[in-house]
Amino acid sequence: MATQLLPRIISGVEGLDQILGGGFIEGASYIIQGQPGAGKTILSNQVAFANVVKGRRVLYVTLLAETHDRLFQVLGTLDFFDRSQLGMTISYVSVFQTLRDNGLSEVVSLVRKEIARQGATLLVFDGLLNARDRADSPLDVKTFVAEIQSQAAFVGCTVLFLTSTRLADDSPEHTMVDGVIELHEEVLGVRSVRRLQVKKSRGSPALGGLHQFEITSSGLVSYPRLEAVLQRPSAETDPEAGTVQTGVEGFDNLLGGGLPTGSVTLVFGPSGAGKTAVGLSFLARASKEEPALHFGFYETPARLRAKARALGVDIESRIEAGDLDTIWNPMTENLIDKLGHQLLQAVHQRKVKRLFIDGLGGFQRAAVHQPRMTEFLSALTNELRALGVTTLATWELRDLFGPTLTAPGSELSSLIDNLVMLRHIEAESRYIKALSILKVRDSAFDPAIHEISFGNTGIRIDVPLPPVVNAATGLATPLST
Amino acid sequence: MALIVIAEDEFLIADVLSIMLEEAGHEVEAAPHGLAALTLVKERRPELVITDFMMPLMTGLELAQAIREDDELSQIPIILVSGAQASIGRAHPEMFDAVLDKPYNEVRLLEAVDRVLDTKLAR
Repeated sequence: MATQLLPRIISGVEGLDQILGGGFIEGASYIIQGQPGAGKTILSNQVAFANVVKGRRVLYVTLLAETHDRLFQVLGTLDFFDRSQLGMTISYVSVFQTLRDNGLSEVVSLVRKEIARQGATLLVFDGLLNARDRADSPLDVKTFVAEIQSQAAFVGCTVLFLTSTRLADDSPEHTMVDGVIELHEEVLGVRSVRRLQVKKSRGSPALGGLHQFEITSSGLVSYPRLEAVLQRPSAETDPEAGTVQTGVEGFDNLLGGGLPTGSVTLVFGPSGAGKTAVGLSFLARASKEEPALHFGFYETPARLRAKARALGVDIESRIEAGDLDTIWNPMTENLIDKLGHQLLQAVHQRKVKRLFIDGLGGFQRAAVHQPRMTEFLSALTNELRALGVTTLATWELRDLFGPTLTAPGSELSSLIDNLVMLRHIEAESRYIKALSILKVRDSAFDPAIHEISFGNTGIRIDVPLPPVVNAATGLATPLST
Repeated sequence: MALIVIAEDEFLIADVLSIMLEEAGHEVEAAPHGLAALTLVKERRPELVITDFMMPLMTGLELAQAIREDDELSQIPIILVSGAQASIGRAHPEMFDAVLDKPYNEVRLLEAVDRVLDTKLAR
């Protein structure tokens, strides 16, 4: 039986409600902490304006030297800021002089009166650090925080205290409040990454750990860690779902009828071995019943179309019919969870049934913490299976030839259902592109190595390779008779 | 040279404004919010009030209304200086003798102060 659910107020920050387990708790108080520039002010103003839109009244109290006018100039660059609400449903007041002249207790009294006067159900208190400096002892701050939050809670007003210091986990402030959110910006190697962490969450199961976020012109956008959000997939998988045609002539026969519906296939091989060609053929089978998505890191959408044309694979008509979409993320500075959420969102929105990911290396390069790749890809592939998406993903082998066959991550093979290997094979003084199936989920398949032939109407896999040995290494030698 | 009460919750702005007006030869009394300003106005009977809009306890508009409703104070000129709410001020010409936009512009502010004080003298 579910326990009582506490009423919530939205954060207005994409992903954050999910991280908080449903948003901020009504009448609760939170500390938002982080270095200057971490995004506290933008976050709290975004929460404020999202709630103004919901009909709430907001009181924004500052203890800072920075003028409100300067603040409004900065906020003016962000989409959520609505100047017309200033002084109407949201008021910014400074209590710096009251603190300086009359002390903390007078600030408490003023804030109490102001909450009542404004009818505010959200209070943002920016500059807890200054209150701290003013306090004669830690007890004073504790009393101050306790008084502000109890006054606010009494009238059902949620409080966000902002502070630029990293308060210790056992600081008096932390023991008082219901939740603590910390914003970091860290330099990892040469890039910087913003991450947030819910360090305390009373009465609400928050998603632990570090979650990446960005600051865009829409304010903060956070990306809950995929393996934390999707610890279990959102739906049950259907084990008896049939097969999906690959679109590559001859390939379905080798697979025992096609790819199992809702399975994940890894196509691995060196550059130029035909991975993208297989994927494009798969996508060309897009239809109203089986919408398709190309989620790539390499070719731009235009180059992709040109490549398909050169191969004689018609993806153009599928794109025009609206059955095939392409999402291209250049392999520059990506955030792995952003990619994961973007992919799943597109799959949901377009009800994608055929997905080609070119390739998994794009996710790996985007991971700032490599050891989580297995967990991340498990969450992603489990969810894709649960959504009934048949996925083809590529993995590029570093060496064009040679005996080293680096498996794409030791545990990766266990995350995928079907394994297809592509190799360049030297035979009779020419290079042949060859395909072999190593594994198919719950199905018999043809283990013979086959040649990939390129014709005017796409690729075909119907000619078995002449008898050679060591084909897997790319250093094949004819089988001596 | 006049006694001016300013109502401004942001101390940096209050400080700069005080210095600006004092250097122009005026005497300045500052209050951190509308309510404190009203008390000051009652005590000191200034020749001019300069007020912000968004302040704790009493807004600039509420301060102006309180002054206008008090027979003994109602003739004191009031200048509203505000960022986002200047339009609200302009919608109440009976309350404010001048409305200026933030951020403060020294020349425009001193011009407005002189103009309002001159008009008052001429009355």
